[in-house]
Amino acid sequence: MEGFVYVLFIVVLAVNALLSIYGIVYRRSLVKKLISLTILSDTVFVSIILVGFIFKYPVVPPVYSGVGGEEAYLLEHGSDPLPQALVLTGIVIGLAVNALIAFGVIQVYRLTGTTDAKRAIRVLVEEVMEE
Amino acid sequence: MIVTLIVFTVALILSLVFIYYAITEKDLLKAAVFSAGQSVSYAILLHTMAAPDIAMTYLAVSVGLYSALLVFVISKTERYEE
Amino acid sequence: MSRRTIGLIVLLVGVVSIALTTFIVFNPEAPKSVRELGKYYIANTTRDVSSPEAVTAIVWDYRGLDTIYETVVLYMAIVGGLAISTTTRKVSLKTRTGLTSIARTGTRIIVLLIATIAFAIALHGHLTPGGGFPGGSALAITVMLIVPVYTLQSLLDQGVSSTRLIAVRGLALTALGLVAILPVIKGLEAVTNLKFYPSHVAGMLISGSLWFYNLFEFLAVASGFAAVALYLSIPEEVYREEIKGGE
Repeated sequence: MEGFVYVLFIVVLAVNALLSIYGIVYRRSLVKKLISLTILSDTVFVSIILVGFIFKYPVVPPVYSGVGGEEAYLLEHGSDPLPQALVLTGIVIGLAVNALIAFGVIQVYRLTGTTDAKRAIRVLVEEVMEE
Repeated sequence: MIVTLIVFTVALILSLVFIYYAITEKDLLKAAVFSAGQSVSYAILLHTMAAPDIAMTYLAVSVGLYSALLVFVISKTERYEE
Repeated sequence: MSRRTIGLIVLLVGVVSIALTTFIVFNPEAPKSVRELGKYYIANTTRDVSSPEAVTAIVWDYRGLDTIYETVVLYMAIVGGLAISTTTRKVSLKTRTGLTSIARTGTRIIVLLIATIAFAIALHGHLTPGGGFPGGSALAITVMLIVPVYTLQSLLDQGVSSTRLIAVRGLALTALGLVAILPVIKGLEAVTNLKFYPSHVAGMLISGSLWFYNLFEFLAVASGFAAVALYLSIPEEVYREEIKGGE
């Protein structure tokens, strides 16, 4: 039973990643590309946390609660703390890059009047060619 | 254990539905709302996977900051794709 | 039914059938035990860092240098946003009204609750899940909530301007750098925790430098994203005049 849910996890996360890559490449609006980029990075983070998860019952987060003598229990039933720390750093850096991309999209709209990727590039290239 | 597996399956299928609707939608405001729905289903998934630190951070960032950022950007540029 | 619904149903059926086929053919084992490195971190966190929370101990003590660099990356992103949004003249906003009094009363209650929770998440980060970064994001959400309901002008009247928020952010980042560099004076490496800072203050567990890191990171993230929200609320006419004036 756990094996089937494990395989379903991997297949659904792979399909999510492929859908978001389709959204980045084949959709023409810059805002839609930004949305698909956030979906792709979120899917990668969830798959990293899947590496540190164990399919046992009960499973607890790796936090001591102050009542003594818990180390053996946490070593048996706790989830892995290292992938969670790496994903925390990843979420912060992803937020910084996405905020910068959002400002970039607004500036492209101010300079060219459109958020369509092909038309914006054509307008900018024509402006450079005129000079 | 069976309840955990059911929660996993429901959250995964829900996230797939939200992502499909977000990417194939022409109205960008609706796409931002679907993206927030996908973030909620991923947060349910992360909490069931015994990672409460990540679930808290992900909820505050993705449902709060990304949705607000996208609404600001859409209000300053165009609303409908092509 | 539209083409989108048919596509969704085909996708769902395909995913479930692929999962069933792979399960029946390969019959894989789900993982049932954590790797050795994870077990080392869980076993030794109370002794090395004196913090019962393994994830915060890894983020600020075992791998503390990575987190300092990540704070620098966040700073660069906010500087980039600032560079695009500067104006040559002072911004004067027309008088706007904001939303109705029902929305204002509800927002007042919600903002107080969110601010309390944000402080609790940030300052308690070495004992429970949380830390500086989720608390800072939660406090930044309150500013993003205040700007449409009460107008931007009401925030500027209270003295909360984007320049002051950037100054607060600079001070918090300086304090963070000081906490990281202070052990070098005594000859230890940078970003050391228990060899230099006390682990208990007045009988309360404080885990050395972890509490200070959480506090300053909370202030830095909250003020940074509040400044971003204030930049994004300046109306578009100001920038249209800027670009027309430049040509």
